[in-house]
Amino acid sequence: MNRRKLLAFGAAVAAAAPLAACGSDDDGAESGPVELTISVWNMDSTPEFKALFDAFQKANTDITIKPVDILADDYPTKVTTMLAGGDSTDVITMKNVIDYARYAGRGQLKDVTSLAKSENGAKLNGLDAFKQEGDKYYALPYRQDFWVLYYNKKLFDAAGKPYPTNLTWDQYADLAKALTGGAGQNKVYGTYHHTWRSVVQAISAAQTGGNLLGPDYKFFGDQYKNALGIQEAGATLDYGTAKTQKTGYASMFETKKTAMLPMGTWYIAKIMAEKKKGSTDADWAIAPLPQAAGASGVTTFGSPTAFAVNKNAKHAAAAQKFVEFAAGPEGAKAIAAIGVVPALLTDEIRTSYFGLEGMPTDDTSKKAFAPDKIVLEMPVSDKTSKIDTILNEEHGLIMTKEKSVDAGIAEIEKRVKNEAS
Amino acid sequence: MADLLTATPATAVPSPPRRTRRRWRNTLIGWSFILPNFLGFAVLTLIPVIAALVLSFMDWDSYNAPEWVGLKNFQRLLDDESTKIALRNTAYYALGHVPLTVLAALGLALLLNRKIAGVGFFRAAAFFPYITSMVAVAIVWNMLFNPEVGPVNQFLHFIGIDDAPGWTTSTTWAMPAVILTSVWRDMGYYMILFLAGLQAIPTEHYEAAKMDGANNWQRFRNVTLPGLRPVTFLVLILLTVQSFKVFDLIVVMTDGGPGRATLVLSQQIYRQGIVEGEFGYASAISLVLFALVLVLTLTQFWFNNRRERS
Repeated sequence: MNRRKLLAFGAAVAAAAPLAACGSDDDGAESGPVELTISVWNMDSTPEFKALFDAFQKANTDITIKPVDILADDYPTKVTTMLAGGDSTDVITMKNVIDYARYAGRGQLKDVTSLAKSENGAKLNGLDAFKQEGDKYYALPYRQDFWVLYYNKKLFDAAGKPYPTNLTWDQYADLAKALTGGAGQNKVYGTYHHTWRSVVQAISAAQTGGNLLGPDYKFFGDQYKNALGIQEAGATLDYGTAKTQKTGYASMFETKKTAMLPMGTWYIAKIMAEKKKGSTDADWAIAPLPQAAGASGVTTFGSPTAFAVNKNAKHAAAAQKFVEFAAGPEGAKAIAAIGVVPALLTDEIRTSYFGLEGMPTDDTSKKAFAPDKIVLEMPVSDKTSKIDTILNEEHGLIMTKEKSVDAGIAEIEKRVKNEAS
Repeated sequence: MADLLTATPATAVPSPPRRTRRRWRNTLIGWSFILPNFLGFAVLTLIPVIAALVLSFMDWDSYNAPEWVGLKNFQRLLDDESTKIALRNTAYYALGHVPLTVLAALGLALLLNRKIAGVGFFRAAAFFPYITSMVAVAIVWNMLFNPEVGPVNQFLHFIGIDDAPGWTTSTTWAMPAVILTSVWRDMGYYMILFLAGLQAIPTEHYEAAKMDGANNWQRFRNVTLPGLRPVTFLVLILLTVQSFKVFDLIVVMTDGGPGRATLVLSQQIYRQGIVEGEFGYASAISLVLFALVLVLTLTQFWFNNRRERS
């Protein structure tokens, strides 16, 4: 009996020890080496994480970063499960604002409003997307991607066409048709529209001022007609084929199967890395996204990526330090150096960005990099993910011509009203 | 526990209690044998199933405390168009998948149940799709079904069919494409079950039938089919359950699309629960799915029993 009592006592002490250690971390005055855990996706193919972590560890020698690597496709589900299970990973990367809104709404993230309202914080592009409950912030963006038009110079030269500058959508469609040629293995498309719904829907919402959360979706009409016109003329790989073959936009562009490609700025870092490796010799540059006729200025859409501090973080103080660092000038410099677009886009950083080896230096590219307006890809609300599903499903039906544009839009309006209100 | 097993029985105890004690001990030993399995089953299956049952009457986002809402989730189920479509699609899939797989598997088994050269190779070849990764199967078949450049449609063009279907890009043909793929994948497995059943039928029955002058078809109808009834019953049950919980093939091949043409119940459960975080509603749908499979299986049992008696 005595032995048992002793054992029980020992067990209780052992169980209490880590608790005590946790408690001492909470007062913020940490000393000694700290191991900071950060959730990331596809660490190997997402070089920005390594760049940021290296820079941060160099500036804070007492903190080592231990990434928690998660497969990109599983990232939202995995993080949801982790947070629900009370996981204590310190920093959680917010892959998109829809998931962010959900975590913040459930009270799973620490309030970082003071950082957002600091001098540097206020300058961040895309910060508005993280505003919650009026005026509170639970994450700070460190990168802000937006959409531009990539083009292959050699394919333009071969067709004897001038490089695109400020296209309207009609000019863009004509250009795509004119650049299409060849057959079989040598077929070259004028442009490539990836299968994401944003290629049509987010563009039209941003440029017409339409609201993707409804209830009126008539503003999709023109953009769908434009996209379907290009597809019917054979000037882009058709939606059905791209979907069934799981075609990659990068391989379409890098193997010069398409002359143009509307895509996000995240692709810049990727194509620069591929060129350095020698896996593509595409001579590329960027132009502003085409605009509606008569539009003033360049309007595009984009979405920010952010870091947040887990409410159950083991090292909350160090985590906050990291979030601030990543969104600040030092973090911005570190990721701009590898071609990633930071949320803090000052003139100094923009200049250094275009000084990178392999970056196009023409004026149009620079202009494309300073759009007049970046609209958030998808507005955040508690209905967002439901509406997102509806928009995705109907997008597929319109693009495969299972439904006409008008019937598709009518169906979206009906479903959003019935299923997400 | 230790006391119970090692303590020597008191000498004064009369014999009948001793016997009960021994029986009690045997029962305990028996339990200890199944305990590891039962523990795993309880922790990983039984408790979650009961939790889902309770959750279907609650609102729960996996983080905050669940809230009792009574029948709200089931009411919502009745109004939810996507769930209704998913239910219809699941039934469509089962109605296509079950009979076609049975026919294909039985046909293969009959074909490969004779003494021909290389029969082992052909049996292995027919079984091969079943051990192939479902993701690989779905991706490759999706490419085969490509309406423009896929071999399936090229073949259809070759034999003179001009308006070949759009398969996974068409709302009408996506489900048949999925069914064909799943039949191709599953038939090898059920062929093995049928082969085992065929080999269990005594050859004397065939000889007797031959003596009576029964032709091939009559022997198949009156000897083979009745002899296979236990196996056919098992296959039908397994296939029905499998059809109703189809998930991986559809997620990779069409992801429920185009539109909602191939959205099935288990996918709807995943979307509502894991993606949307509405675990209560997802549990309600899974409860309906469970009830559905239960009723179907019981009906099959009832049919089988009635047949056996007649």
